[in-house]
Amino acid sequence: MTAESLTLLLVAAPGAAFVILGMLWLLGVGLSERLLANLTKALYLLLALVACALFWQMWRGGLTTVRVSAGDWFSVARYHFPLALLIDRLSLPLVGVTVVLAGVVGAFSVRYLHRDPGFFRFFLLQYLFTFGALLVFTADSLDLLLCGWELVGITSVLLIGFFQNRPDPVRNAQRVFGIYRIADLGLLLAVFLAHHWFHTASWHGFFSGEWPGHVNQLDGAAASVVAVLLVFAASGKSAQGPFCGWLVRAMEGPTPSSAVFYGAISVHAGAYLLLRIEPLLHASWVATSLVIFIGLTTASLGTLVHRTCADAKTSLAYAAQTQLGLIFAEIGFGWTTFAVVHLVSHAVLRTLQFLRSPSMLRDYHRVHAAAGGQIDPTGEQYDSLLPKSVQVALYRMALGRGFYDAILDRFIVLPAIALARLLGVFESHPERRSPPAAEPTAPPPSVSAIP
Amino acid sequence: MNSPSCSETCGCTSAAPVAGTDARHAKLRLVLEHASHCLPSQGPMGVFVHHNTLHAFQHQDFESSVIEAAELFEAEPFLTEEEYQNARSEGRILDEDIDAVLAGEPDAEVLPGRLSRRRLRRALLIPGVRRVNGLDIAWQIEEGDWLSHFRRDLPPASAHLLTGDTPLKLWQACLKRVEFHADLQPRTPRRPHEAVLAATGEDLDRVVHPPMIRLVGAYLDQGIAYWPMPHRELGLLAAARRIMSQPFALQRRHLGAVRGEFLRQQQQAMGVEDVVLDALERLGVPEAEWEDYVTAELLPLRGWAGMVHMLEKDVTLAPHDRIRCSLMEFLALRLTYTLAALQDIMGDTTSWRSQRVEAPNIDRLTPVARFFDAAQLLGLPSYELEALSGADFQRLSSEVVACNEIERRRLLHLAYERRHERSILIPLAKHRARPLSMPAVDRLAAQVLFCIDEREESFRRALEEVDPCMETVGAAGFFGVAINYAGLDDAGGVSLCPVVVTPAHAVREVAVGGHAHLQAKRQWLRRAWAKLTRNAFISSRTLVRGWISTACLGLLSLFPLVFRVLSPRSYGRLIRRLNRAFLPEPKTEVTFMRDDAESHDATTGLLQGFTEEEMAERVLSVLGPAGLHRAHARLVVVLGHGSTSLNNPYESAYCCGACGGRTGAPNARLFAIMANRPGVRTALRSRGVVIPEDTWFLGGYHDTCSDDIEFFDVDLMPSSHRGDLNRVQQSLDRARVLNADERVRRFGTAGPGIQGERALRHVQARAEHIAEPRPEYGHCTNAVAFVGRRTRTRGLFLDRRAFLVSYDPDADPEDKSLARVLAAVIPVCGGINLEYYFSTVDNEVYGSGTKLPHNITGLVGVMNGFQGDLRTGLPLQTVEVHEPVRILFIVETTPERLMGVVRANPELVEFVCNQWIRLATMDPCDGHIEVYRGGDRFEPLTGDEEPLPVTPDSRTWYQGKSGHLPLARIEPVCAA
Repeated sequence: MTAESLTLLLVAAPGAAFVILGMLWLLGVGLSERLLANLTKALYLLLALVACALFWQMWRGGLTTVRVSAGDWFSVARYHFPLALLIDRLSLPLVGVTVVLAGVVGAFSVRYLHRDPGFFRFFLLQYLFTFGALLVFTADSLDLLLCGWELVGITSVLLIGFFQNRPDPVRNAQRVFGIYRIADLGLLLAVFLAHHWFHTASWHGFFSGEWPGHVNQLDGAAASVVAVLLVFAASGKSAQGPFCGWLVRAMEGPTPSSAVFYGAISVHAGAYLLLRIEPLLHASWVATSLVIFIGLTTASLGTLVHRTCADAKTSLAYAAQTQLGLIFAEIGFGWTTFAVVHLVSHAVLRTLQFLRSPSMLRDYHRVHAAAGGQIDPTGEQYDSLLPKSVQVALYRMALGRGFYDAILDRFIVLPAIALARLLGVFESHPERRSPPAAEPTAPPPSVSAIP
Repeated sequence: MNSPSCSETCGCTSAAPVAGTDARHAKLRLVLEHASHCLPSQGPMGVFVHHNTLHAFQHQDFESSVIEAAELFEAEPFLTEEEYQNARSEGRILDEDIDAVLAGEPDAEVLPGRLSRRRLRRALLIPGVRRVNGLDIAWQIEEGDWLSHFRRDLPPASAHLLTGDTPLKLWQACLKRVEFHADLQPRTPRRPHEAVLAATGEDLDRVVHPPMIRLVGAYLDQGIAYWPMPHRELGLLAAARRIMSQPFALQRRHLGAVRGEFLRQQQQAMGVEDVVLDALERLGVPEAEWEDYVTAELLPLRGWAGMVHMLEKDVTLAPHDRIRCSLMEFLALRLTYTLAALQDIMGDTTSWRSQRVEAPNIDRLTPVARFFDAAQLLGLPSYELEALSGADFQRLSSEVVACNEIERRRLLHLAYERRHERSILIPLAKHRARPLSMPAVDRLAAQVLFCIDEREESFRRALEEVDPCMETVGAAGFFGVAINYAGLDDAGGVSLCPVVVTPAHAVREVAVGGHAHLQAKRQWLRRAWAKLTRNAFISSRTLVRGWISTACLGLLSLFPLVFRVLSPRSYGRLIRRLNRAFLPEPKTEVTFMRDDAESHDATTGLLQGFTEEEMAERVLSVLGPAGLHRAHARLVVVLGHGSTSLNNPYESAYCCGACGGRTGAPNARLFAIMANRPGVRTALRSRGVVIPEDTWFLGGYHDTCSDDIEFFDVDLMPSSHRGDLNRVQQSLDRARVLNADERVRRFGTAGPGIQGERALRHVQARAEHIAEPRPEYGHCTNAVAFVGRRTRTRGLFLDRRAFLVSYDPDADPEDKSLARVLAAVIPVCGGINLEYYFSTVDNEVYGSGTKLPHNITGLVGVMNGFQGDLRTGLPLQTVEVHEPVRILFIVETTPERLMGVVRANPELVEFVCNQWIRLATMDPCDGHIEVYRGGDRFEPLTGDEEPLPVTPDSRTWYQGKSGHLPLARIEPVCAA
């Protein structure tokens, strides 16, 4: 097979699996757990083989870029929605990471979710997520990337709320959904503005040459605006800067989905976007310094909060946020290759740590015993250099998770709700404004009405 | 609902009346003590001790307790009515069981001469009422078939009585006669949360809980957080005061006043109790209602409150950092937050008490529909219904209401248990009547001592099937040696004995003299490994070190990630091989001898080891009750047990309950060494236990998860016993394959085709698999405990559901052994069984829900997601195939002897007389069975409806089936 068809197969396979299984589900066909388990293993094995074959083809053929175009989805006047995929030296490692990690987590989940009522739903969402993630990493244009981006977002939200019969997971899923919506506005606006100003949103329209070292073709304030908007969107996905608080809320889902989304793939999508638009980023000092600023502040806040987290998953979430901040900063400084290595390594390590998070009790006791009951006390390094009162204030800040939720609730959500109420006054009818009176108990249905 | 009745008899000493403020303080302490009984008593998870979830109610009888507790905790007392009715349709409950249960309940006339309460209830239970839901009645009437015809599953007699009548008429008659009592008035709120919710829709718990959970979580943390909470040594409240009153901090919504509260407390130097008393006053709670209020405030975060309470009672439960805990401080913290939030939302702190909470809206038609259903079941046509006199109708209607859902479930549960009881006792009696022919040998090939654990039942059966010349014996898995033990690799000593016992003797494992250098090297390597692992753990998470380590070394984790998940067994093998290659394993011995009479450890106060007298005592405590007084086999193997699994916070729940949730291997090893000592044998001989010169005891370990077996101190065994050991080893190897084979029938992931060796490999992989939420099923399905001679149960297929305690009544004329055995066995097995019962009937309230989103916090427990209550009890995955019945104890003795023993022990009185366990005796002479029926009443077992099928071997019986199986008699086909 040619590299082009391999690329198509790679992206289409999980999407097809989702569509077919989803249809079966809607039709009420009950698939056995065993069948679905084997299907999952087969699918990820196939994806891994395809990814290997693709790598082999490119390496042997000396190809650095594979572009596949399936024409346009639709055209409106001068606007075309291109269905084009791109595999290059940036996409390939990320595709590899996605396939391997999603596959390992898939194999893990087959066991882990055995007999769970949501077994089928979980795997449907995982296929859809794999499809979305592969689309993000291989899209040749912002338009197509946006599709994958949204799929990753919605599957992420649905898996946070996986345990639908409990209020907390659903509530937190909603919260994350809201944050995603706001962050994704950046991406949407960027696509609109790119089309408006530059008449293109595809990578080869943006840049010439190949990654790394491709050259930015856009300039001016318009390019800067697009870059800043994309940084905004990337921060949302990677829980950085103004969006640094949602990652912990995502820990409500089952352990493997926490691993694949928030340890591995989903959170790194933002970093990927920045890597992709790196020349555009560096053409604008505003965007560059914004990325560095966001990265470094999130990293320092993340590490501060992480220090006080007393549970396994929150601690991992903030640790992941810290490293993502550093990856952002690396991209800002232009250390692109290092950032890719860091990204891949970090994704693999965090996946393992998330999957093993239920082992923490045993691991800690084993280390404790091996150390002869003497574990060096922690928290005595930089902190002890500060005066005691500052330490406590910092601890207070860390325990309040950087006051993120307090700020969000008090200064964003409440005013927004108040504003909505205010605007609602203009729309609603006076009688509907008062809360509905308690319904009187229904009178017995008239029996005589029944023939 | 209000004051849990545990308050009356909990044994809390009321403080002597003191005047003034002291009296208020004393009263507050008493109130908190009472309230704390309702909290879960589960300590840090590293050691999971099974106990009765409703321990606080154990002084009253089971049935009323579960119902009362269900109201208090908003939980389910029994299975759902649907589950019982399903059981009835599957034949798991028979109609005669329901009749028998009803016969045991007080009867009354409902309609004189026509209807008794018993008949009424029977009609409501068979075939069962339709679920009536206020919302869909109108639909059922207009669209469904309620009015087009009567129920199709009516008993013929009722259907006959209804001929000539129409559903429409009956419905109209019901509508006319059934009165609606809207007796549910708005009530006063129990705590501000309810009032605020009713008044504003704001959920106060969602305001108060997040900071509470973070503070308490950080306070109790045993080593997860890199930065331990500052000022922790001052106590929870003081630390919270210092931390939460920092300036420049932004409080969450509605909590702006918390800082002021803390500062005020600090300025006025208020003690903890002052804070609580002050808060109670400001909340307007009168002294008489303190207890209800405090209970209501503690229950919403009962997991955390319970943990604080447990650590307050016994600080040594904390696995690493001993922290001073106080439930009073927890309460003070909670009230401080509640006050601040209440003030912010409602504008003051007392108006909440005048707020009324609406009772749930009861649909007017629901009682009508219920009565409509009952009338059909009774065969009460409309004209008769209309003709009933007012008093008659009133009685009928109140009887129907009295037999409400909870009552029906209670009756069905009793029927469910009755069928279980009969399906065990009748076949058991039949089996007893026809003793199995034992092979005619002079001396047994070997005797193997197991723990009484019901998971060992299949193993023992398999071993006896494989080699009929072997005998197995069951004794509580600490084998009488209650010790504080530290293994070669352990940091400190832990208790290996039932939790109710405090060990007085310390035993240490040390390297033998010649291997000291190996031990030194091992320790050095382990220290280095610990340093490395610890550093890797920390440095993968922090900023600067994390930068280097994740970027440079992160990729290395791909190897363990992929291999652990895709090939768990080979990964486990690789790790073991690496360990063997690099980590020297010195030969070890245990230091257990003490020559002088008193040699206490200076710091712990423990006796160092045992004197020979004490050892003989320990050995006798196992061999005596089991009747192993003479003619032992040449080899006696003592197998302790434990369970290893990965990625499983509940690992300890699978270990040996008689060893306090740890492995019983050291106890088995020690027991064998003691029993081999000539001095001990001499001492035993003087007490009537004569161990032959050529008998050798060998300690071993059985892993109930992977079915691996290992032996200890084989090199000390005389070479003359090699042959015996070989035979035992071969038989055990074959038995563990059979055991694994029997176990996998329960595992859905194993698939149907897995048998024999493959089954063994499957269970081994489960132990090594990091994605396995059910490494094994633990005590799941436990239902029976047999205390008696093995010959009574030998050759009986008990489906891994019976604890088997070896007890020989003939060797125990004074019932001393029985008293000792029951004192240990009833609380341990009863506790396990009741924990499973409650975690099954309400997995969300009494259990910990599904394991999948669990998140370990502070190394003390698990919670759902990132901030929630600590979850106590057993997870769904552990109890999913459990059948919730009270454990049925069958003791081989007479009722008089048994009750004599029970009456002498207050704890047993609670268990037995309040019927938290079911009890029966099997006569030691003629084997007739009598069943305990409350008070001092025993009732002989009669009836013959349960068969005892015969099967050539266990496998034939269970093959291809995955549900619970009835008893069967295993009679090998003679090779003739």
